[in-house]
Amino acid sequence: MKTTEKINIRFPQTLAEALRLQARKNTRGTLLAGGTDLMVQWASGTPPPARATSLWNLPELCEIEVRDDDILIGAGVTHAFLGEAKPIHRHLPALIAAAATVGAIQIQARGTLGGNAANASPAGDTAPALLITGGDVLLASLDGTREVPLDEFWTGYRQIAARPDEIILAFRLPKKGSAKERFRKIGARKAQAISKIMAASRIRVRSGRILSAAIALGSVAPTPIRLTQVEALLTGQALTPSLVAQAEKLAQTSVKPIADIRSSAEYRRWVAGRLVRDALENL
Amino acid sequence: MSTITRTWKVNGKPIKVRAPAGRRLLDYLRDDLGLIGAKEGCGEGECGACTVLIDNEPMVSCIVPVGQLADGTEILTIEGVEKKRAGRLLQQAYLECGAVQCGFCIPGMIISSYALLPKNPKPPTQAIRPPLSGNLCRCTG
Ligand SMILES: Cc1cc2nc3c(=O)[nH]c(=O)nc-3n(C[C@H](O)[C@H](O)[C@H](O)COP(=O)(O)OP(=O)(O)OC[C@H]3O[C@@H](n4cnc5c(N)ncnc54)[C@H](O)[C@@H]3O)c2cc1C
Ligand code: FES
Ligand code: FES
Repeated sequence: MKTTEKINIRFPQTLAEALRLQARKNTRGTLLAGGTDLMVQWASGTPPPARATSLWNLPELCEIEVRDDDILIGAGVTHAFLGEAKPIHRHLPALIAAAATVGAIQIQARGTLGGNAANASPAGDTAPALLITGGDVLLASLDGTREVPLDEFWTGYRQIAARPDEIILAFRLPKKGSAKERFRKIGARKAQAISKIMAASRIRVRSGRILSAAIALGSVAPTPIRLTQVEALLTGQALTPSLVAQAEKLAQTSVKPIADIRSSAEYRRWVAGRLVRDALENL
Repeated sequence: MSTITRTWKVNGKPIKVRAPAGRRLLDYLRDDLGLIGAKEGCGEGECGACTVLIDNEPMVSCIVPVGQLADGTEILTIEGVEKKRAGRLLQQAYLECGAVQCGFCIPGMIISSYALLPKNPKPPTQAIRPPLSGNLCRCTG
């Protein structure tokens, strides 16, 4: 018998039912969405839990709502579904590009946005694209729903701000408006590769001056991060080659990546700067 | 352990499923239904050898727990695809192009190719690459 067969998996039909299960310690289970992280972890040696609560196809988690200034995307929305949700593409192009680089189509058909965020890997591809929107995560529990700014959501290596009784309900993501977005992933090959490093940016320029800049990187720190020092340097300045060079340098000196099986610290530091340059040269 | 009962259609035939909720779809297909066309390469979602169509979408069956597939789910494996005209044509094309070496990856490759055709009936080479990028071939590299 395979290890996952021992798990007692519950299949709530509504969010309310799932929240009730998660509220009590003796019915709470590991939240299981598309399983593309969890099933792999359980197959490769992580002991499976006694209980799991399946969120797959839970209707309340699968909705996308376009509003005047922002878009609500349910945590259960898959990467494939984001690709098909054409009306939101022009408002959140970096996120759409990021979702399209997750694994390959078989993985995109099952992997969810909520799972990618909650898995909290520094190499999670959608995280930088979420961060640059300046939006929030909606966390649901029996006590109600609360909003946590994405900036405060990833609290440490593989740690998130959700309590054990909470379920990520959705992401509230401000539209980009007149800003320009970009997403670049650097991996060993185009498909089925975990990022060595990736960057997302949302930058607004008017008459050659940078009005606002949000730049986020993944795989250079224990959590996905915003490059706040680089953003501060850029904001309000005229977009000149010397500013671009300064921003590239500052990005390289302000990140503290580690070396691992995918890449070296030096490579990541160097590429962090090049990715900032790439964002600024493509405005 | 929790046991689920479901009714699915597998290769067009209604099937009554009774299995541990966490059983991998791949194991259910191969061991319980005897459909051994889907292969286990990595068991970790990477290689695509276990790809099947779930409600027309290619997914890797080695990381899908059967409990997550609701009543009415339609599953198509290579045994079902090879009975369809497009499936037979694809098999023939793979043969004629010398695409098959050991053959282990081929059921998954054909399923992913088959899934692409309704979306893009005459795909140029560039449009074939992304949808097949989740299928690895050890022989060709
Ligand atoms: C072959 C392969 C390639 C991959 N390639 C990439 C890649 O290129 N880039 C990348 O970023 N990822 C990649 N992944 C990882 C994975 O596919 C993504 O992280 C995916 O988005 C996870 O979503 P899921 O629904 O499958 O999560 P699950 O595995 O179901 O869950 C992951 C984590 O999230 C928690 N969780 C899920 N939903 C919720 C919720 N609503 N509220 C609170 N917690 C929740 C779970 O408890 C678990 O801790 C790959 C995986 C595989 C198998
Ligand atoms: S065996 Fe399922 S992807 Fe390799
Ligand atoms: S033909 Fe041998 S793995 Fe592809």
